[in-house]
Amino acid sequence: MIFLKLAFKNLLRHKIRSFLTVLGISASISVLFSIISFNKGFESSLQKELYRTGIHFMIVPSGCPHEVASLVLHGAVTPNFLNIEVFQKIKEFDEIEFIAPILITQIPNIEKEKIDLVYGIEMSNIKQIKPQWKIDGTIPFSDDSILLGYDVAEHYSIKKGDILTYENKRFTVSGIVQKTSSQDDAFVYMPLKALQDIIKKPNGATAIGVKVKDVDKLNTVIEEISLKIPGIQIVTMSQVVNSLANLAGSAKILSLSIALVAILISAIGVMNSILMAIFERTEEIGLMRAIGASKFDIFRIIIKETVLLTLTGGLIGLIMSLVGANIIEGFVRNFMPYIPSGKMIQFDPFLALICLFFSIFLGIFAGIFPAWRATKINPIKAIRG
Amino acid sequence: MIELKNIVKTYKRGAEIVYALKDINLKIEKGDFIAITGPSGSGKTTLLHIIGCLDKPSSGVMKFNDKDIGKMSEADLVKIRREKIGFIFQHFYLLPGLNVLENITLPLIFGRKTRSKEEIISLIESVGLKDRIYHRINQLSGGEMQRVAIARAIVSNPEILLADEPTGNLDTENSEKIFELLRLLNKKGLSVVMVTHNTELAKRTNKVITLRDGKIFY
Repeated sequence: MIFLKLAFKNLLRHKIRSFLTVLGISASISVLFSIISFNKGFESSLQKELYRTGIHFMIVPSGCPHEVASLVLHGAVTPNFLNIEVFQKIKEFDEIEFIAPILITQIPNIEKEKIDLVYGIEMSNIKQIKPQWKIDGTIPFSDDSILLGYDVAEHYSIKKGDILTYENKRFTVSGIVQKTSSQDDAFVYMPLKALQDIIKKPNGATAIGVKVKDVDKLNTVIEEISLKIPGIQIVTMSQVVNSLANLAGSAKILSLSIALVAILISAIGVMNSILMAIFERTEEIGLMRAIGASKFDIFRIIIKETVLLTLTGGLIGLIMSLVGANIIEGFVRNFMPYIPSGKMIQFDPFLALICLFFSIFLGIFAGIFPAWRATKINPIKAIRG
Repeated sequence: MIELKNIVKTYKRGAEIVYALKDINLKIEKGDFIAITGPSGSGKTTLLHIIGCLDKPSSGVMKFNDKDIGKMSEADLVKIRREKIGFIFQHFYLLPGLNVLENITLPLIFGRKTRSKEEIISLIESVGLKDRIYHRINQLSGGEMQRVAIARAIVSNPEILLADEPTGNLDTENSEKIFELLRLLNKKGLSVVMVTHNTELAKRTNKVITLRDGKIFY
């Protein structure tokens, strides 16, 4: 216990130096914890969100299917449209329980002098496609009503009951989707028929979401549809999840690499800080050796100092990542191709414990060289100065 | 108790070999109070370090309780320093992060030994620091710091106390008090070897050894 107190007091002798060293460790542990938490949250939320839609696969125009599917999911405009015949033909399959055509395009908003992203969907399918939504108001029940994403409503300062005009057609805002912190917040949701009329693409769709009656027959249904309907690509939700997870995985590897480099740099900072402290305390260490401290005793004291630094850094880092979770999440969201709604960074006690153990390991790792140097101090030379 | 035979200690200074000690022969018996005097650079501290098992001679034999320290491992020497020898220095060398009590008990911690709280407090009282037990080092005077150093040196009940100019940093009054404390400890049976420039204090010990150019000068 006295060694721990000694280590603690030694660190307090140079408060600013110790504080800066701890800060370096805190920042890197915070980044590490946030990245791992975010990734865990991302993967589980992604699976939940996509599977919760009830859609088993999506039919998209020929091209790069995964890209198109992810674009459709997170709402971007694609240049290709599905042919009307596709929709009719899919309807004819007995194994199909539910189909939801989706049309995504951009329409000028003359009044606001902006171009709005508009998501056309049969409003009866909204609850099926977006089950996690909470709406202030109601789902549109006629072709002259629309729903607004949270950000659109905020940006235009629009309330429920207000009017928006697209291509001379007036739409009443029947409801506003509560904030999802995802791309859904940026859309205007319009009845499919109304949107098809505006862009003059009757029966046009960017994609069709399909749910089969029997999941066991999913592959058979996909094979049949692929054979019978030319010019389309089918992407299962598993493929979409994998595709997005792969993209997120690449981002994770990159960000983890950066975090590990930051950790390495901060470990070198700890090493440097403790080495300086050892040089300053040569006489003291020499004295301890003279009055009976073994080399191992000196080694232990120094390792305790480095572990104290890194463990404190780890604890502060965890607090920092929890306090700053929203900022970090908002920052990371800008770089991800698709982000499910809801909070990604959640406090996971097990992960926090791993981070703390990692901090201890880091302290031991960073302390080995300085501690070894300290054991090499010759007590006679140290005492003589 | 301690016997030095034909002890030579050399250092290298570039290509030159410097003799710090030349052919030293000395016996220290239990209960001795010895003063080592001599001008600066005469080898006093080097001799004290060899007696204290902090350093090994370049040649010659030093025996501690009939055991040749030249044949001992580093761990054995640490054990002897911890259990048999107490050190005090001119500059005290107390650890500023610890209080008086903690500084004093440090050798016990290194030695994985315990003494009862009563024994420790009695020891602290015997060096006149009863009211300073929980004080920080920077709250003490020079004389008090040296008393802490003495208490630390004797806490493990050593057989010999080695003091390297223990009064060198103190005024006359405190020097006298510290010397009296050392004499008291010696009277209780502790062997004391003291390096000093103070010839008046040296005269009051049982034996004075004067070193000149690394040799004992009689």
